[in-house]
Amino acid sequence: MVSKNLMAASTKPMILSILASGEIYGYQIIQNIIQISGGTLEWSEGMLYPVLHRMEKENFIRSQWKISDNGRQRKYYRLTELGKKELEKERKQWMSVHNVFSRLWDPFPAIE
Amino acid sequence: MFDLEKAIKHWRTTLNKNSALEDGYKEELECHLRDKIDHMISFGSSEKKAFEEAVKKIGEADSIGAEYFKTDTRGISGLPPWKKSRWMPPLFSNYIKIGLRKIKRQKLYSLINIAGLAVGLACCAVIILYVTNELSYDTFHKDADRIYRVATHRINIVGEFLYSTTPGPLGPELKASYPQVEQAIRVIPPFENASHVLVVQEEKRFFENRIWFADKDIFQFFYIPFLQGNPQTALVKPNAVVITEGMAKKYFYEEAPLGRTLQIEIDYDTGSVEIQDFEVTGVVKNSPANTHLKYDMFISMPTMTSNLPSFEEDWLNWHGKYTYVKLAPTANAADFEEQIQQVAKMCAQKYTERYNRKMDLNEFFLQPLTKIHMYSNNLGEIEPSGNWYYLYIYSIIAFLILLIGCLNFVNLSAALSTTRTKEVGLRKVVGAQRRQLIWQFLGESFLITVLAFILAFGLISLLLIPFNQMAGTELTSADLGQPIVLLSLFGLLLFVSIGSGCYPALILTGFTPVSVLQGKSAPTSRGAMAQKLLVVGQFAISIFLVICTFTVFKQLNFMKGRALGFSFEQKLVLRVQSNLQHLRRDFEAIKEDFLQNPSITGATVSSSVPGDDTDSGYYLTSKAEDFRNAPRLKVITMDYDFIPEYEIKMVTGRPFQRDTGNDEQASYLINLAGVKELGFSSPEEALGKSFMAHYHRMTKRIIGVTDDFHYRGMQEIVEPLIMDIEDSLMNTITLSIRVENMKELMRFINKKWDEHFPGVPFEYSFLDESFDREYRYEDQMGRLLGIITTMGFIIACLGLFGLASFVARYRTKEIGIRKVLGASTSNIVTMLSKKFFLLILISVMIASPLAWYSMNKWLQDFAYRINMNLVIFFVAAGGALAIAIATVCIQGIRAAVANPANSLRDE
Repeated sequence: MVSKNLMAASTKPMILSILASGEIYGYQIIQNIIQISGGTLEWSEGMLYPVLHRMEKENFIRSQWKISDNGRQRKYYRLTELGKKELEKERKQWMSVHNVFSRLWDPFPAIE
Repeated sequence: MFDLEKAIKHWRTTLNKNSALEDGYKEELECHLRDKIDHMISFGSSEKKAFEEAVKKIGEADSIGAEYFKTDTRGISGLPPWKKSRWMPPLFSNYIKIGLRKIKRQKLYSLINIAGLAVGLACCAVIILYVTNELSYDTFHKDADRIYRVATHRINIVGEFLYSTTPGPLGPELKASYPQVEQAIRVIPPFENASHVLVVQEEKRFFENRIWFADKDIFQFFYIPFLQGNPQTALVKPNAVVITEGMAKKYFYEEAPLGRTLQIEIDYDTGSVEIQDFEVTGVVKNSPANTHLKYDMFISMPTMTSNLPSFEEDWLNWHGKYTYVKLAPTANAADFEEQIQQVAKMCAQKYTERYNRKMDLNEFFLQPLTKIHMYSNNLGEIEPSGNWYYLYIYSIIAFLILLIGCLNFVNLSAALSTTRTKEVGLRKVVGAQRRQLIWQFLGESFLITVLAFILAFGLISLLLIPFNQMAGTELTSADLGQPIVLLSLFGLLLFVSIGSGCYPALILTGFTPVSVLQGKSAPTSRGAMAQKLLVVGQFAISIFLVICTFTVFKQLNFMKGRALGFSFEQKLVLRVQSNLQHLRRDFEAIKEDFLQNPSITGATVSSSVPGDDTDSGYYLTSKAEDFRNAPRLKVITMDYDFIPEYEIKMVTGRPFQRDTGNDEQASYLINLAGVKELGFSSPEEALGKSFMAHYHRMTKRIIGVTDDFHYRGMQEIVEPLIMDIEDSLMNTITLSIRVENMKELMRFINKKWDEHFPGVPFEYSFLDESFDREYRYEDQMGRLLGIITTMGFIIACLGLFGLASFVARYRTKEIGIRKVLGASTSNIVTMLSKKFFLLILISVMIASPLAWYSMNKWLQDFAYRINMNLVIFFVAAGGALAIAIATVCIQGIRAAVANPANSLRDE
């Protein structure tokens, strides 16, 4: 299980990264996360939608209602240019954090 | 059995309990739920189990809703509505909403309010621009407070004079002898042809009139930004000229002007006029509009000295030489003024030595640079000085219009206040304090004023076009950006919104909630009294303006219609500005040449034509060479054909005639005013008397007396005039023409002009047109007043219309009952209009004496004027009354013909 704070911080970059591969709707995002994390990350699923809504307001993503193959209405999300830039920013930040931890927890730590 | 559809439907209703979840959000959540259920069923889960699991996973409606709420309300205040915000007054957004809603619901009243205020504000803004411009003259120069112009006060045998000018060598002398003078600059127009300097660049030939000789330091002295060239050295060499951007574009288009040559013709009054080459050594910015010294070109001072070597020594000629000094910061101007009287005395001394005549007084005095435009009105001013009189008139008119707009606003808001008593009552019940409510209503009036301001900005650019024409200014709406203007506009905004909002605010918030909510409220009687006063005020102003406009137009018609005493139709006027010698020597031949064309029926040459603002005059004496206390008569010099061509009537004697042989040497004509001026009791008495003129020291006899024809237009009284045949002043050709083929004729005249005056631009005017221009000021003032009065009157009527419609609506039931009881339509209309009729009558009585007083004052300026009579008042007041009553009656009739059943049923 991941703590609530860390969840809150990581949601946005995760959504951005998933959307980077193309247009997708809410349920698929959840499925993707579960699959990739192997079930270690568990979201309160309803909470995804206010986050998407906020990101849309911040112009990182755009949404569109579409009729899917089985006749069900779904809201699809895709990345905007601004969103791509934001993803790049986030990626840099998380990578630097990641680098620190990977050095720290290396069998031969960088600090003496 | 578990019904999935029913369960989902039920789940969806549970989402309703959080109001932040909007329909779209719920739809998306449901879609997610269904996907999840489908997914789980495909793994073998039962419908029931899948549904329960999915609902659990999605989470609580409230927590999702709360997240949405945070996202959606961000940006307004981020606070829930019940929490007090930090900087905005509580309920601010609500006030704005209510204010805008009121404007939207009561479209007519809002329109009247906003339009009225906008017109007033636009007029005020234009006047603010005008006043700022007038008062900002020359303040932009560096150290403007230390710069003075030296002027001359002089008394000699002919009289007392204040000149703007000084002798030529004064500037360098002051700089050399007085340590407190930091810098001294001379600015000198070309002597004889200042208003028509011919400038030639290859095939481009124009007359220019803002050309100055200037000392080389002028660019350090005044603020004249240099664009190209070196300001230190530009005016050092002879025949160097510095031009403005505008001139550079005019003569060289886009080509680089530096080092190029301009040919400039300057008349140094030495007898011969030459056109010389000048090298362009600098380009400066165009002259700003708010300086008394407007410029197009500066010519180096050494040019002057090389053409007129005596110039630097000539202390006796003080015409057209402007001297400016910049004093050291520590210097005392009054002391300095005292000291330079030494130089003045030296001047007077030289005068006595030279002419063997004593000068009674010769003094120099200092004029602060920034005061020249508004305060100085000496002889030889560079441009006409500012006019306080018009400054005041315009300001007053603008203020009156604004006042009408404000009164309108107050009046309508006060009347409408009754429709808002319930709102105020309710606000008070739920805890509003009176102060809070007052702020609310002030805010509303601020809102309306702001809207009016936005509209006014559009109007300003429209108003500026006629205003600029009238006042001769170059104001643009870009000038609104000046800090001082913005500040005044902001002050105006506050003043108007508080001034017009405060009365309605006080009335509205004064209601007691209990009586209002019980339905006992009625327009208060103290409010009714105030309303009456406001209507009276508004109409008094409007009627005042109507009477003024009427008077101005009547005076104008009077002036235009009065017989001028000479014929001014079909007269073409050619002004000769260059090669004058040819005209003065050969004018008879030139006339003959023009007369070859049968469409030209007459030609005459003179020193000026009627309508010119002629200033030349002769001092006349009957004693030998003694001009002490001699009378001065304006002079027009002319040839033999002038009197017959202009059809000027002779009172007695005869006009100039060729066949007598010696009229040129021996004869004068004078006008009737001249008879009086020379001290004769009748025209006949003047005949045959001899006088010597100071101008040519010749003694001639008066051979005839003409009628007092209006040779200077109608504003001025006909002054004593002498007519003389004297070649040396002639510069104008008048052709009487028959207009048949205008194009052909103009081509002919142009051709002849080029033959006689080669290289001089062909410029002409029609006498009747230029005469119309004489009335320009009055004409434009009349037009401006006309526009403004109409606007003011429309606003006032709109206000009255609003008020009447409100009263009619308020009394709907009463009218209904009266009708049921048998009142006729006319009864009801009379009942509704009687009150207003009285109010307007009172306004007439207030406005009339005020208008009578001010218009009488205005008319004093005219030599020939109409009498203020009762007719004007009756027409103006009657017209105003009729329009106002018609306005009220429209409303009255509408109320009176309405079906009483409708108004009585409505409960």
